[in-house]
Amino acid sequence: MSILIDDQTRVIVQGITGKIGSVQTRWMLEYDTKVVGGVTPGKGNNVVEGVPVFDSVNEAVKETGANASVFFVPAAFVLDAFYETVDAGIKLIVVVPEHIPVHDVMKMRAYALENEVVALGPTTPGILVPGKGKMGIMPGSLFSPGRVGIISRSGTLSYEFAGILSEKDIGQSAVIGIGADPVVLTNLPDILKLFDADDETDAVIIVGEVGGMQEEKAADFIANGMTKPVACYITGRFSPQGKRMGHAGAIVRGSTGTVEGKCEALRAAGAAILKSPIEVLDWTTRNDIH
Amino acid sequence: MRLYEYEGIDIFESVGIPVPRRGVAESTEDALLIAGEIGYPVVLKAQVLVGGRGLAGGVKTVETPDELEEISGNLFSAEIKGLPVRKLMVCEKADILRELYMGITVDGFSGKPVVVVSTEGGVHIEETARTSPDKIASFYCDPAFGFYPYQARMLLRHIGLSERLLTFCADVLVRLYRVFSQFEALIAEINPMVILKTGYQGGLLAIDSVIEIDNSALSRIQYPLPQMIDRIENPLERKGREIGVTYVDLGGDIGIIASGAGLGMATMDIIGQRLRPANFLETGGGITEELLYKCMELVMMKVNLRAIIINIYGGINPIHEGARGVVRYIKEHNVTLPIVAKALGNHQEETWEIFRSGGVHVVTEASTEKAVNRLFELVGEQ
Repeated sequence: MSILIDDQTRVIVQGITGKIGSVQTRWMLEYDTKVVGGVTPGKGNNVVEGVPVFDSVNEAVKETGANASVFFVPAAFVLDAFYETVDAGIKLIVVVPEHIPVHDVMKMRAYALENEVVALGPTTPGILVPGKGKMGIMPGSLFSPGRVGIISRSGTLSYEFAGILSEKDIGQSAVIGIGADPVVLTNLPDILKLFDADDETDAVIIVGEVGGMQEEKAADFIANGMTKPVACYITGRFSPQGKRMGHAGAIVRGSTGTVEGKCEALRAAGAAILKSPIEVLDWTTRNDIH
Repeated sequence: MRLYEYEGIDIFESVGIPVPRRGVAESTEDALLIAGEIGYPVVLKAQVLVGGRGLAGGVKTVETPDELEEISGNLFSAEIKGLPVRKLMVCEKADILRELYMGITVDGFSGKPVVVVSTEGGVHIEETARTSPDKIASFYCDPAFGFYPYQARMLLRHIGLSERLLTFCADVLVRLYRVFSQFEALIAEINPMVILKTGYQGGLLAIDSVIEIDNSALSRIQYPLPQMIDRIENPLERKGREIGVTYVDLGGDIGIIASGAGLGMATMDIIGQRLRPANFLETGGGITEELLYKCMELVMMKVNLRAIIINIYGGINPIHEGARGVVRYIKEHNVTLPIVAKALGNHQEETWEIFRSGGVHVVTEASTEKAVNRLFELVGEQ
């Protein structure tokens, strides 16, 4: 069983008639993903890349049996589209767009949790399960099938790690972008849990970055019984910090958020800390991961 | 976007939160006029977008016009934590009995608004949070439900408020939540919320504001807000905003163009082991030929640049189009600076060919470290 995508996954593309939506649909199809339909309100009855387009998610689900959706919807319309998709019974949603207002994301997250929907993003490259399919924008050529899981807050850095591993014939079981925004729809520890339970994954790489407390919470999960080896790379060591204003954040979060703090928490939990992406190859050699 | 204190206080006033009599001065003459109308003593508050202003000497009480002239002059010619002071807020001096703290922010991990209150407002609030957590209470809201007076009262009971003060403070807190919600704030804070010795408007006054609005929501807020671009002091960072990329001026001499924040930060971290980045530039998912042409223009504006590294992936971005923009810039401006490009993903072969036609050193492996090492070689650092 792979993570999130398997051969039962039937995908619709929301915003399929847009420039990015149609190009990415072609690439998902070329990667053998079962894209069964698309949705753009007002553009039903069209066909894009050989895929039927519907006016609503409900119709798309009814006609195609879709159970997953990937969004290329303009940021301002994402909240509405998300509610529509959850209400239509879809249980896996990948929200690719960036610049979605945080107050919308908070509402989306609450609605997804309430309805037991797994959603990724916003600002995510999506999910790629090598050899099985992909939902999102990850460039397929950099990935290869194997047994290492990757979870990333950064899209492009997930490609970097997959690329470095693939060059040495170390394949990936699944690569998941959780999204780069301050609030994301599914948190890092929840994805880590899926990898820990996945019998096709031997080890996991976490690609994090400065800010927030995703990595600290992942460290708690690792310390409390994660059975597989974990390596972490946290970027942003030399990033200039914004001029901080207000105290509410500091009161709520305490000292979390720095690269040093995250590395320390993860190291204490038993994870390996990578100082740069290329060091991942030392880690795979040391742990006999291939 | 961060708002100035005086802009935040105007917003507080618009939702019915009690605020002091005040005016905004752009010169000492303005300040004298405003103080004359309010009546002495008044407080002069330097308007700068940085925390810790009070401790840095940016807030002064003055008793007379003579004293105002002297201190206002000093403040206008001073820098507070490196920022110029262009405006002063001139405020009535509140007769303070106690200072409370009220703040609302977005908690990233739970994805909920969190309302924080304390009986110990003022500049030492973060220290209080560490040393006396019992004097602080917080409440995580359901973002779809909102925040109601009964919840505000329950929260304020935790820090010991009662009677009339409880209901007055709950009313202010709910109005502050309205600001947080309607202005799509990342932070909305009153510190301190003062309880006056004299019974005035229920005895409360919000004498400071911190509001930061989510940039992604700016265009849909129904209120006359200033332009984000006017808030950016650094001319290069302003140009970055104009062309639609994130640019941060870093003071070193190696230019960076990356197609993602994580990748850009990683590039910066690896370069930073030996050299100093001139900038951080992140394109996001909107690469076009024109955009990368403009990115080159922007990065090249930095004087004393020694080399440039371009680190891009073709996932959502058409990197071959981007490469055309870079090479067009190189040819039009006869750029001789060493440029290293690592570009992988969709259309990678075509991209490499275009880069090579402009004399760009192409790295075809996935590791950023290898690209940075190539750059170190080219500038003689290895």
